[in-house]
Amino acid sequence: MKRIVLALLLPALLLLAPNVTATEAPFERSEQRSPCTDYDPLRRAFFGDTHVHTALSFDAWGQGTMAGPGDAYRFARGEALGIQPYSSDGLPSRSIQLRRPLDFAIVTDHSDLLGETRICDDPSLEGHDSLVCRVVRRFPKLGYILVNGHVYSSELPSRYSFCGSGGAVCLQAALGPWQEIQQAAEAHYDRSSACGFTTFVGYEWTGMPGGRNIHRNVIFRNATAQRFPTTYIETPTQEGLWQALDQECLQAGNGCDVLAIPHNSNVSAGSMFTITSTDGSPISAEDAATRARLETLVEVTQHKGDSECRPGAEDELCAYETLPYARMADMAHVNSEPGQLPPLMYTREVLAEGLVQQARLGINPFKFGLIGSTDTHLAAPGMVDEDSFVGHAAGTVDSRLQVPAFPDRAEFNPGGLAVLWAEENSRDALFAAMRRREAYGTSGPRMTVRMFAGWDYPDDLCSGDDFVERGYAGGVPMGGDLPTAHGPGAPKLALWALRDPAGKQSPSHPLERIQIVKGYLDNGRSVEKVYDVAGEPADPDALDLSTCTTQARGSDQLCTVWSDPDFDPDAPAFYYARVLEVPSCRWNSYLCNRAGVDCDDPGSVPGELATCCDTGVARSIRERAWTSPVWYTPAGQR
Amino acid sequence: MVTRTTRWLLFCVFVLTVPLPMLGPWEVLAPTARYLLLAVVTAAVMAVEGAAGPVPLILALFAGHALVYLLLAWLVTRLCTRLLTRLPTRASTGVVLAACAALLALSIVLELYITPFGSLPRSNLLGLLS
Repeated sequence: MKRIVLALLLPALLLLAPNVTATEAPFERSEQRSPCTDYDPLRRAFFGDTHVHTALSFDAWGQGTMAGPGDAYRFARGEALGIQPYSSDGLPSRSIQLRRPLDFAIVTDHSDLLGETRICDDPSLEGHDSLVCRVVRRFPKLGYILVNGHVYSSELPSRYSFCGSGGAVCLQAALGPWQEIQQAAEAHYDRSSACGFTTFVGYEWTGMPGGRNIHRNVIFRNATAQRFPTTYIETPTQEGLWQALDQECLQAGNGCDVLAIPHNSNVSAGSMFTITSTDGSPISAEDAATRARLETLVEVTQHKGDSECRPGAEDELCAYETLPYARMADMAHVNSEPGQLPPLMYTREVLAEGLVQQARLGINPFKFGLIGSTDTHLAAPGMVDEDSFVGHAAGTVDSRLQVPAFPDRAEFNPGGLAVLWAEENSRDALFAAMRRREAYGTSGPRMTVRMFAGWDYPDDLCSGDDFVERGYAGGVPMGGDLPTAHGPGAPKLALWALRDPAGKQSPSHPLERIQIVKGYLDNGRSVEKVYDVAGEPADPDALDLSTCTTQARGSDQLCTVWSDPDFDPDAPAFYYARVLEVPSCRWNSYLCNRAGVDCDDPGSVPGELATCCDTGVARSIRERAWTSPVWYTPAGQR
Repeated sequence: MVTRTTRWLLFCVFVLTVPLPMLGPWEVLAPTARYLLLAVVTAAVMAVEGAAGPVPLILALFAGHALVYLLLAWLVTRLCTRLLTRLPTRASTGVVLAACAALLALSIVLELYITPFGSLPRSNLLGLLS
């Protein structure tokens, strides 16, 4: 009788068991918390922002931001936030609010100058009356330029004299804000079974040798973090950062776990993803392994532009939110001319270089997934809607004293979002998603994008209601490695994209198409190809820029199973998807329309809105999402 | 009023009140004294903390403006003084005092200055001095 019951129960249990376990181990819990009631073994998309600055960052504070980490988290959860300019009695002159709250957010204030910012702001601290702090308070903009320049434009940055011997005074003062960051993360993390909102402890290591951006956001898995955040001043190389994270966190034996997320390789002058160590020697397999272990994600889009692919490349859609500078420091010069852009500045070419390095070292140092975020310096995570851009608040345009007519430089943008596929909205589940790269970035819209890669997906996968189950069961999700092929034939990618459902007056546009970007090695040389795999290009003239309405026909969802027609089983490759919306208005079009700018009557255009009529500034964009890649490695090279 | 006194009075009022633009990335309209002050402050930071980063460049920018505008002030006041010598002394004194009073009054009543480096976006003379 028992055998009969078991025989009946076993198939039923197998059907009920989450297929996801066939390919992925479930995440491990590293903290005490209530189980989430909405646990989904097939995973859900959680939208968030992993790059947020508050008044604890010197550059944000110097531009008038007064909101702290707690304010940032409240804003992310949907509360209104008052922002600068502030009146003499400390009241904000305007208020902003998200139309839709985020699922998670991470405050990542600059670790450098944490102590200096606090000292210059707090009269009770030693150093408050130093010359530099006096200048910062009396001439804030001058102080902003001098202090940022002192730290970030130097190959060998140093502390100010008021920081004392070895910077001890400032390092000690940094402990206060560092604890504040951790306390805010704890206070706003929803540990209840509702799992409504997740925070992480984090900071930004702001490496900028010679003005070349090599910044990393450091994210801790749980409440256990480094005692001091690593700083560029004391640790001026990326290898030093990884070593510090390894020694002070991963090897600490206290449950600490950490990832580092590089951002803005587009202004790194090729220094962010190097194939040589700081001493000039080629990276070793050990270096590659360290990088691959710690840097599983890259922020591909944010306020300061898009880092996906090189503008001017064959792929015309790379001409998107492009910054014309090789180095971050070049932005300081308003009339800076675009220079020659060195190699390895864009993630696509870095992913390809990863294949080259894998062939050389046996390990791919650049095996990362893609996310987006904002880099807000207004403590306003997720403020990404094109029609309500309020500026970056840490560049050459600031709103400390008055609201500028044009909220920022024309080439900046409202930034994007990070999307993580996880079983639940908890730190461990989201961190596991970041580590396995089951993540994607969007330029702001909340599209839902699934991508699976395998060998045997049926062509009619999209017609069933079990796309996800079969996707997991038959292959790997975005961020994974294609399993070994059972036989001849090309890999198949199963793709499914849903339009941003919008609501609450959020702008939402139909989907235009899905593209697959493939990179592979051909006789040791990296090659890129872009395939349209679902949908079709929309008519760009369907967008009426004067009203920001479009007649373009798009889709509410796109789904396809695509097989690589050019597959070479001997060539290592990566594939990622780019999902495009139909053309829509860029933020400057919304702003200029609201201001009633009429470019046909140049005399009527106020000087501060002259950029509205600059034909060199894009007025429309295709909002988009970038999935993390999947990688194919020939059997003999694994 | 003796010529030297006239010249110095006009020079000081010019330096203190006449708004002049800053060439470069920032929109500034400030009197020469303001550029001089910013140059002195930047030089002090450089003397105490060294010349790392953009400090020398910023110093050169402020000091350059201060020097050029001081020279301009000197030339303008010399020219004015020379022209005033053609007037009778009493009339000359009256014109000088009236001009200085008018410049000071305007700079106090109106927010003539664009001052992104200060604590207010626009300012009058008292705001600059406060």
